[in-house]
Amino acid sequence: MIIQHCIANPLTIIRTPRRLSHPGTVLMRTGDSVEPAQIVAQAIIPPDFRIVEVARELDVPLRSANSYLKVERGQAISEGDILASKGGFGSRVCQAPISGKVAGVGRGRLLLQAQPQIVHLNALVPGYIVDAELGEGVVIETVGGLIQALWGNGHEAHGVLRMVVREARHPIRPTHINASSQGSILIGGSTVDGETIQDAKDMRVRGMIVGSVPAGLIPQLREAGFPVIATEGIGTTPMTQAVFDLLRSLDGREASISGDIGNRWHQTRPYIVIPMPMQVGQVIRADTPLAIGDRVRILRGAYRGRSGTIHEMLARHVQLETGAHLPGASVDIGEGEPVRVPYANLERLF
Amino acid sequence: MEEAHIIDSILVVDCGTVITKLLLLEHVGDSYQFVAQAEAQTTGKPPWNDLSIGVVHGVQELESIIGRTLYARGGITVPRTGREGVDAFVVILSAVQPLRVVLAGLVREMSLESGRRAVNGTYATIEATLSREGNLRAPQEMWARTVRDLMPDAVLLVGGVDGGARRPVLELAEAVALATSMLDEEQRPTVIYAGNRTLRSQVTKLLGDITHVVTTDNVRPTADSEHLGPAQSALEELYIEKRLRTAPGIERLSDWSRLPLFPVATAFSHVVDFLWHREGNADRGVLGVDVGAATTTMAATFQGRSYVSIYEHGVANGLIDWVETHGADRILRWIPAEMDRETLLAMLYNTELLPSTIPQTSQELSIELAVVREMLRSAVSTAWPTWDVGKAAMQATGAMPRTDPILISGGGIVLTPRPGQSLLAILDGLQPVGISTLLLDSSRAAPAIGAVAGIKPLAAASALESGTFVSLGTVISPVGQARPGEVVMRMRITYEGGRELNVEARHGEIEVWPLLEGQRATLEIHPSRHIDIGMGLGQGGRVEVLGGLVGLVVDARGRPVNLPSNPDRRRRTLNRWILDVGG
Repeated sequence: MIIQHCIANPLTIIRTPRRLSHPGTVLMRTGDSVEPAQIVAQAIIPPDFRIVEVARELDVPLRSANSYLKVERGQAISEGDILASKGGFGSRVCQAPISGKVAGVGRGRLLLQAQPQIVHLNALVPGYIVDAELGEGVVIETVGGLIQALWGNGHEAHGVLRMVVREARHPIRPTHINASSQGSILIGGSTVDGETIQDAKDMRVRGMIVGSVPAGLIPQLREAGFPVIATEGIGTTPMTQAVFDLLRSLDGREASISGDIGNRWHQTRPYIVIPMPMQVGQVIRADTPLAIGDRVRILRGAYRGRSGTIHEMLARHVQLETGAHLPGASVDIGEGEPVRVPYANLERLF
Repeated sequence: MEEAHIIDSILVVDCGTVITKLLLLEHVGDSYQFVAQAEAQTTGKPPWNDLSIGVVHGVQELESIIGRTLYARGGITVPRTGREGVDAFVVILSAVQPLRVVLAGLVREMSLESGRRAVNGTYATIEATLSREGNLRAPQEMWARTVRDLMPDAVLLVGGVDGGARRPVLELAEAVALATSMLDEEQRPTVIYAGNRTLRSQVTKLLGDITHVVTTDNVRPTADSEHLGPAQSALEELYIEKRLRTAPGIERLSDWSRLPLFPVATAFSHVVDFLWHREGNADRGVLGVDVGAATTTMAATFQGRSYVSIYEHGVANGLIDWVETHGADRILRWIPAEMDRETLLAMLYNTELLPSTIPQTSQELSIELAVVREMLRSAVSTAWPTWDVGKAAMQATGAMPRTDPILISGGGIVLTPRPGQSLLAILDGLQPVGISTLLLDSSRAAPAIGAVAGIKPLAAASALESGTFVSLGTVISPVGQARPGEVVMRMRITYEGGRELNVEARHGEIEVWPLLEGQRATLEIHPSRHIDIGMGLGQGGRVEVLGGLVGLVVDARGRPVNLPSNPDRRRRTLNRWILDVGG
């Protein structure tokens, strides 16, 4: 049996894909070493354009509009340049609304194209390029810690991890934000509120990692300007103890974090990468069958967010509070008797 | 002479957005039966990016059940050799992103509305609509920018009745041509032209050198007629080509199968069509609803004509988009316990983030069933305008045309622990009228049967007869004017053994009388003067009905079902209805 999984591992081989939003140029080759801020690829964003209705603006017939033109196809233009003019009685001019070039002429109209904009894609994580796909992006291999989360606000950053709470059940509060927070990625236990986010923004923190974020805060988080990552998703569930302990052990280290969650058809998981000066890490085999002793996290129900180990893979179905009977396992979460959870609501922790 | 290929065992793989379902149909004695089924996580997304991984896991589970080998030497053995493999292997899919379509047309209530319905007939989402409405200052520039920036898979260009408007349609075509010419070749959308037929050659001339153009019959050939079939087929072909054939790992599955790939919705509509022909009722249709994680499919057959409509939301993926458009109150109103908006939103977000999880607490289940109700409501409103029957009644009262049976499929509803919970969600969501048997596709085999119908119709028919679907019961839904508590119908139930029961139903209530699965009873129904049970106002009669897991149900709440506006009263009412149906 394979079940969904999540990586929360102190030393593994991490492959981070970095993809351009538009087709472009990859600036690196396989084997190149990269640093987080290094540009690995660039793309040209389709330029802005305008259709200028020359015939209509000069009030001349379509077929004669070309004879009034002052520019030709391919010519560079600046905003305000005269594109066409009609002298004499009722004189009129047609001016360029944007700077760029004349991309097309015909049917009494001009097509103007602005200067194309170049966007750069940085590496975000340090490591070696192991795959450079023509025009699309790169894959960077790093050895270090990797923690996958559930929700993120779309932003990404690189900085130093700073644990600001003592327990996984403690939220980040305004009192945790001070001068030393500047440039850091703050780690909290349970959740965060709007006032703290505003203070963090003012203090220019580099990022924030918490257990959960309240649903009502999401619009503010999207505009926060720095990455916020929730390891357990939305609500008030504290950070899974195993993840909290791992992050605590990495306090003070440099990390790259991405809050990208993709879209409904191409979901991706937010992540935290903590590079280590090692050559080897654990290879994760996601398709190995689930077995007794495997680490898991509970995703739903009263024990949501707890982590533990598979105590027994049950021969008989688990009965849920809803009355449903489903295949499942008993999980030792370190709180007395193991709890029974359907496989569908378990996530394997690698 | 070539020996005919005997098909005695068929493996159907249904790759859904979240779960991949495998069903093995075999010739047993004189009939075909589902002998085993298995499930695995769909593996089309990261970290796997290969649908065949989940399929192989599922096949291994099947092998452990049936005790023989299906998968050997890196593939499914087709045809069967001795005890190894199957005679046919069919793959149906819905686990891929729908086509992204830009719809361009002239009048919102005419061509654009027809175009929208055509798009709803396949797995496709409308990313933007281009029209002259809104007094745009530079419409062509905006249209072109929209197409260029969105880079859709297709532009569906409609507009103008046959022989009608020309210039406005060509202006749209010009803008699409301009946008398309600014894109790299591999990013250019296919243009499906389904507008004024007299412009076909001009549109092809304008766009044909830039991109692939498909011309079909006009979706709105006259102001008061609609012809969606050809445009829907063109969109479905494009979906198969651009999405199904390029799904990660599909090449491997196709190599093993060597049969055409099917969208799940198409396979599902085959079953509904099949049921209509089996029931042979010219005066009522057959309805099928498949509530999935990402989409809700509604298939119907009326008077021998099939209709498919795919609503672009399901019970998990895209939920938050839905809430942002329609508001959380639409879901909150169906929750029978006190719940604040923040709690509801958190659960909806988490369901979307973890679509393969299942409700574990009563609170989680009540939210999921509330979502099901609203997806069904939305799917009905998307579907009925495409039907040729019952439009006037739907517009006037929201009452559906008579459908019997109603087939319910999809993980979003069939996995509900108690049958009463499913039944109530269906009644609240669909709000059927008249007399309907509700069939539950509890093993989620309906799309598989539809797929089998394409290669071995006899096997599909046989599987249907062998009790694949479970009856929830027969529901009588009287409609008409009545005061709360007023008796709307009286009924004599005569059971197979001759035992009789005289009962009555009151407006605003749901009544359930015992009629077990497999049992039949004869009903003598006498509705009140202003009440219709599908036989005309005040008209009753004798009907034979089938029992089910819930029993014989009279839903006398009227149509549409109105919920009290006071939150406490509403919750009390919802809880009473739940108790009434044993949910």
